[in-house]
Amino acid sequence: MSYDDRANARPNLNDESDVEEEAMANDYREQVNFDDSMSELDRTTSLGGSQAQDLQAQLTAAATPLEYQATLETKFASYDNYCSLFHYILNSEGPVDIEIPSYYWAWDVIDEFIYQFESFCRYRNRVARTGSNEEEAALLRENPNTWGCYSVLNVLYSLIQRSQINEQLAAIKRGEDGAAFAGEYGSRPLYKMLGYFSIIGLLRVHCLLGDFSLALKTLDDIELNKKAMFARVMAAHFTTYYYVGFSYMMMRRYGDAIRMFSHILVYVSRTKNFQKGGNSYDTIAKKNDQMYALIAICVALHPTRLDDTIHSAVREKYGEQFLRMQQGGPEALPVFEELFRSSCPKFISPTPPDFENPASNVDPIDHHTAIFMDEVKNTLFNPTIRSYLKLYTTMDLKKLAGFLEVEPEKLRSWLLVNKQRSRQIRWVEGALLEGEPTIANDLDYALENDLIHVSETKAGRRLVDWYLRNLARVY
Amino acid sequence: MVAFDKCETRPPHIDVILNGLDRYNPETTTVFQDYVAQQCEDRTFDCYANLALLKLYQFNPHLLQADTVTNVLTKALTVQPFPKANAQAVSQNNDFVESVQKLSQLSTLLESAQYTQFWSTLNSDDLYADLTADVAGFEELIRIRIAIEVGKAFRTVSAETLEAWLDVRSRDALEKFVADVCGWKVENGVVCVPTNKENEARSEVKSERVGVDMFGRVIRRGFELPL
Repeated sequence: MSYDDRANARPNLNDESDVEEEAMANDYREQVNFDDSMSELDRTTSLGGSQAQDLQAQLTAAATPLEYQATLETKFASYDNYCSLFHYILNSEGPVDIEIPSYYWAWDVIDEFIYQFESFCRYRNRVARTGSNEEEAALLRENPNTWGCYSVLNVLYSLIQRSQINEQLAAIKRGEDGAAFAGEYGSRPLYKMLGYFSIIGLLRVHCLLGDFSLALKTLDDIELNKKAMFARVMAAHFTTYYYVGFSYMMMRRYGDAIRMFSHILVYVSRTKNFQKGGNSYDTIAKKNDQMYALIAICVALHPTRLDDTIHSAVREKYGEQFLRMQQGGPEALPVFEELFRSSCPKFISPTPPDFENPASNVDPIDHHTAIFMDEVKNTLFNPTIRSYLKLYTTMDLKKLAGFLEVEPEKLRSWLLVNKQRSRQIRWVEGALLEGEPTIANDLDYALENDLIHVSETKAGRRLVDWYLRNLARVY
Repeated sequence: MVAFDKCETRPPHIDVILNGLDRYNPETTTVFQDYVAQQCEDRTFDCYANLALLKLYQFNPHLLQADTVTNVLTKALTVQPFPKANAQAVSQNNDFVESVQKLSQLSTLLESAQYTQFWSTLNSDDLYADLTADVAGFEELIRIRIAIEVGKAFRTVSAETLEAWLDVRSRDALEKFVADVCGWKVENGVVCVPTNKENEARSEVKSERVGVDMFGRVIRRGFELPL
């Protein structure tokens, strides 16, 4: 398939290392070859030993973050390391048998792989944009395929296919035995876990590239609940919900986004004490704050009652900003932008930048922020309108326009926009992309010419719980 | 409600590509391009497939066909709402930035329900006519989209306002449009929209769901022997 060729775009990379390896092995063979009968045995065992050691080192390296100030050479080398490792795992004859350093290794390796891809792309974009470092720009231009989008996607998709993880998960969902669909590779924990976490990795990559619908589609076979496999690795659990929530938010399904963020934040707040001291604690704490900021944004755009713990945490962390966003109006714009920028994923551009014209390269974060802000600007006056309409059951449009000091024509547009935004698609069951349109607001209205009829949906008193509790006490 | 990734009018061979790895294969670009042309002709829209095409362009900028991209975007204006994220990502380093910006401006006007300005902008520049030329019935589709939004919010609306919003020049044309397309009536200069789920705006009190299962414990307790 031509896709495969393209994906292995670093030509001869694997062959090269194979050749090298063979040369080393030959070298070694010459050194130890005493031509006596015992040497044959010795050679194989010792050779096997050293290879295994190399492999272990490679496995550990693949799951370890690079140093913060790593040079371009290190980044290139790290890419080569991943290529040869995944090549070995995927393209050996039959499944390989390796001892993985730890239970979390599969997650760590996928996580780190994507992280390095992301930071490499961003670094490359920055070098091109600022045009400051000629030397690095030249090096990057000569290697357009290093950390290429196609190779990264190829690795993830190949791991998923090899392990037949989607077939396994689909079977489990149907209530059948997943192992029956696992095949030669997928029945081994190494492949199964790599495949599984590659799905989560794919969710992340699609999100970084700005394809939010495809990101959610990727999780078709994974059921989001506490029994899911990702829930066993805290960082994976966390990452999944962050990206799913964010994708929903960018698709303007704020209700669903809030549901995702709240779920994981409640979970984290309950388990916080166990996590302290772990080395992933800092990253989790940072993402945690980001999600609170995103929740604040979602609630401002789509007023909802939050879980009490979440609500007080949002108020504690972003109290003032939260209030300003909820009030809307032009003053809220910078707040929205600031919070969005600090909590969005680090978007990347899939193709190498234009090194000739530094100015023509846009920072992908700016780009996505601009798109998001368009929507915010569009709905900026919704809170004001809502707060006025709450006070009346009927209201003349011209009179309201007078209160707001805008043209009646403009107010009509605002009312239409507000009406559109109060309808949202909301997940009920099935795959993440599915959902039903629902009325997302307790305030609704209809216009009879210039007369606005306002109606409010109120929640009735909840008596059953109270009744049951008292009943349990006395009876 | 049809999920985002599904489309009733999508032919099976497109579906196969979308669900497999071929969606990344640059060779399928032409297949998607033909599909876009077909959508333009028979007034259907398949957002998910078009996004896949835009993604191919994003990954392989040398394959990009400016016409097809603008067609996809123009087409996207006729449905609502459409994630414009990808579209702009593609446009970053290309010369047709201007067309894309123009379309994006139109999209903003539609999104913010400034329909009168939308039509005046559309008619202000010949470039717009070029952009929308390939999409069969573009104006008609936009009118329907606007009418749907209006129908959701209004019970009655003055004919003048609606004329401006739909860019219909005469009262007769308006009467014909609302009667044929929406099934609404015009009386004394006022367009009446029949009651639907969206525009009735009924006040209601959401009451709690009370099911027998909630009382399971109490009932069981009733059957247990007293201590």
